[in-house]
Amino acid sequence: MNEELDSQLSAMFDNELPAAECELLARRLSRDADLKARWGRYAVIGAVIRAERGVALDGTMAGRVSAALSSEPALSIDTAPASRRSRASSWWQPLGGAGLAAGVAVVSILWLRSQALPGGSPVAAPVMVATRTATFGSPSAQGALQAASATTTPDSFVVPPIQQRPMMVVPATELADYVVAHSAFSWPVSRGNLLSSLMVSEPGTSSTPAESDQRAPRVQGNATQNPK
Amino acid sequence: MSADASDLSLVRRVQRGDKGAFDVLVLKYQHKLVKLVMRYVRNPAEAEDIAQEAFIKAYRALPQFRGESAFYTWLYRIAINTAKNAVVSRDRSPIEYNVDRGSTDNEESYDMQGRMKDSETPEGLVLTDEIRSTVNAAIDALPEDLRTAIVLRELEGLSYEEIAAAMACPVGTVRSRIFRAREAIDRRLREVFEGGLGRTEELG
Amino acid sequence: MRPRIRSSERIGLLALALAIAGVASADEPAKWLERMNHALTTLNYDGTFSHWQGGKVEMLRIIHRVEHGTVAERLASLDGSGREFIRTGASLTCYLPDKHVVLVERTPAKVSLLGGFPAVDERTARFYDIKEVARMRFNQRSTHLITVMPRDQYRYGYRLWLDDSTAMPLKTQLCDADGNVIEQIVFANLKIRPRIPDSAFRPDISTAGFQWLRNDAASLKETVVRSETVWNAGRLPPGFRMTVRAAQTMPGSGPVDHLVFTDGLASVSVFVETHVVTTSGQAPVVESAHVGSSYAFSTVVDGHKVTAVGEVPPQTVRFIAAAVKAEKASGSAPPPASLAPLPGGPFARTPPLH
Repeated sequence: MNEELDSQLSAMFDNELPAAECELLARRLSRDADLKARWGRYAVIGAVIRAERGVALDGTMAGRVSAALSSEPALSIDTAPASRRSRASSWWQPLGGAGLAAGVAVVSILWLRSQALPGGSPVAAPVMVATRTATFGSPSAQGALQAASATTTPDSFVVPPIQQRPMMVVPATELADYVVAHSAFSWPVSRGNLLSSLMVSEPGTSSTPAESDQRAPRVQGNATQNPK
Repeated sequence: MSADASDLSLVRRVQRGDKGAFDVLVLKYQHKLVKLVMRYVRNPAEAEDIAQEAFIKAYRALPQFRGESAFYTWLYRIAINTAKNAVVSRDRSPIEYNVDRGSTDNEESYDMQGRMKDSETPEGLVLTDEIRSTVNAAIDALPEDLRTAIVLRELEGLSYEEIAAAMACPVGTVRSRIFRAREAIDRRLREVFEGGLGRTEELG
Repeated sequence: MRPRIRSSERIGLLALALAIAGVASADEPAKWLERMNHALTTLNYDGTFSHWQGGKVEMLRIIHRVEHGTVAERLASLDGSGREFIRTGASLTCYLPDKHVVLVERTPAKVSLLGGFPAVDERTARFYDIKEVARMRFNQRSTHLITVMPRDQYRYGYRLWLDDSTAMPLKTQLCDADGNVIEQIVFANLKIRPRIPDSAFRPDISTAGFQWLRNDAASLKETVVRSETVWNAGRLPPGFRMTVRAAQTMPGSGPVDHLVFTDGLASVSVFVETHVVTTSGQAPVVESAHVGSSYAFSTVVDGHKVTAVGEVPPQTVRFIAAAVKAEKASGSAPPPASLAPLPGGPFARTPPLH
C-alpha cells in the first residue's frame, strides 16, 4: 500500500492538496476502482462522524448515478457559451446582390465556414479539419471526379472502413435550403434532430462527432453496453 | 493555492469527457447532498431520488460551470432547486397527456410497478447500522490526537491550518494525523464493505 | 377530477397491461416505431427538450399542431441564439435575433409534413436490428426502450424511449454503428393537448429594427425549367432505393431535380441542378459539409452540380452523390415534373411543385 499516495488522497479529500498534485491524483483517481472505493469510504467516515441520520451509507447511490450517466453523452470543453458567441460574429459577411440571394445566404451562412463567391470558387477556407476527398482547384474536372469516385465507391458491399477524419464545413450557399427541403422526407425522429441542429448557433464546430468519440473512447464505450 | 483545487481538478476532467471523475465527486458529496435534500423531503428514499436527479442535472450543466463559485456551492444550489421543484410538483410527471380524460386510467396500472430502493431493503438498513457502529467503535479506539484531528476536520469543518492552530502543531502533522485516523478506521470499515452489500468498487 | 379506480379494477387493468406486455410478437418493436411516427406527425404537443450534439447541449422548445390538415410548428432556441423557426401552413419564417434578420420563405401549400417519410417495412429489418430491450420508467412515465441498430456502417442507429401511452419519444439517441451516441434529444417536459391556440406560434422576440428578407416561391413560378435529363444513381448502398423524384426550385440555386433514396429509415436527398455549371476553366469544386450529425456531399456530374444530403454517415452521402448519372431520356416526351412514387414504395406523396 502506497502511503504517500494514500496520504495525498486524504489531503485531496480535504481540499488541502496543492493544485498541481491534484491534477495528477484526479487523473489516477478517476480510473482506479480501489482508490475510488477508499475515497468513498472517507466520505462515509465523515457522514458517520456528523451523525447524519436517515442517510443510507452503503453508497449505492453513486452506483446508480454512474449507471444513469452511462447513457449520457460525454461532455466536451467547447461548450462554453462565451466562445460560441464570439465565433458566431465572424461568420456573417453581408453579400451583395438581390435580396433573394442575400436572404438565402443569410440562412446558409449559419452553416458556413467560408462562402463561395458569386463565381463559384471558394474563398480560402479557415484552417479547420480538412477532408481527404475534397479537391480544390485540381487540374481538371475529370480528375476531380475520379478522385472523388476512387475514394467513395467501395468495390463490394463489405462494411466500409471506420468513419474517417471529420470533414471541413465548406458547403455551397444552398446547403441550408437543401437540408430544410430534405427534412420533409426524413423520418420524424430524424427531422427533429435535423431541425434542432439547424437551430444551434454554432454549427459543425471542431468537436465533430468523430472527434468527440475519439476523445473519450473508453467513456463512450460504457454507453454502448447499456441496451444491447 | 485555491481551496477548491481538488474539486476543480475533477470538474475539469469531467468537462473534458472523463465521466469517472464525476463518480469521484458523487462519492464525496452524496451523503451531504442527501442530508441537504432531507430538509425539504422527509422520506429518505425520495431524498435519494432527488439527490440523484440533482447530480445528473449538475453533470449536464457542468459545461456552464466556470469555477466562479466553489463546486459544492454550485451543486448545493442545484440540489435545492431540484428539491423545491420536486416538492411542488410531487407526483406530477413533467409529461402530461391531456387529450382524453379516459386514457389517464392506463397510467394508474403502471404506477403499481414499484422499485425497492436499496436503503429500504432489510439488507440496506442492516448495513447502514453496521457501518455506523463500526466507524464509531473505530473512532473511540483511536489515540486522542488522531481522534481530535479527524473530528475537528469532519465535524467542525476546520481547515488544516485552523486545526494546527487549535492543536498547536504544524500543518504537516495535522495532515498526517488525519490520514492515519482515516487509515485506522478504514481498516475496519473495509471489512464491512467487502463483506456485504454496497460495494463501492462496482463503480468505474 | 379523475375518477378513482377501485382496487379490483386496478388489478384487472394491471393484469391486462401485463398480458399485453407479455405478448411478444416479432414485429412489435417495428410497430412501436410506426406508432411513434404517427404520434409525432399527428398529435398536438408542446415540449421543452435538450439537444446534445458534438459535445454541446442546447435547450429548445417545440410546439406542433395539426388542424384541418394544416401543420403549424414552432421550434425555438431557449438559450444561446434565441432563434426561432415557425412554420404555419405554407410559410416558414426564420427569426435570427443574433443577426437581426427575419427570413420568410413561402412554400407551396401542398407541402404536407404528414406524408413522405420513410416507413419501416420488412426490408428495413434486413439492414437494422430492431428490438425492444426494456421497459423502464423515464420521468415517471412508463416507456419502451427500442433500439434500432444498423447492420453496417452506411447508416445510423437509434435508441428510443417511447412513452407507453402516447408513443412519443421522450428520449432519443442517434448512434453510429458501434453504438456510440452522436446526438441526443431528451424531453424535460412535454404536454399533449387537444387544442393549441394560434398565439403559441408567435415568436418570443421583438423584431424591431430587423431586416426582413422574403423569398417568395410563388414569384419563381415562371423560372421553373423542366429538366430534360432523367437522373438516377448507378449504384446504391445496400438497402437503399429511390422513392421520390421531383422537380423543385430552390431559392439561390434555381431549379433542381430532387431524388430521395431511403432504406426505410434513413433517407438521403440528392439535388441535381438543372443549369449546367460554367466552369470558366476552373475545376468544379467537390465539397463536404455537415449540419449537426447530418452530412452533405457535393460533386459535379456532366457539368451539373449534384448534392447529396441526409442523416447518414459521410461515406453514404459520398457513395450516393458519386453514383449519380444521367439516364437516357426515354422517347421524346419530356419527363414529368413529378412522378408517382416507384412501385413498391411504402408511401405515396405529392412532392412540392409549382
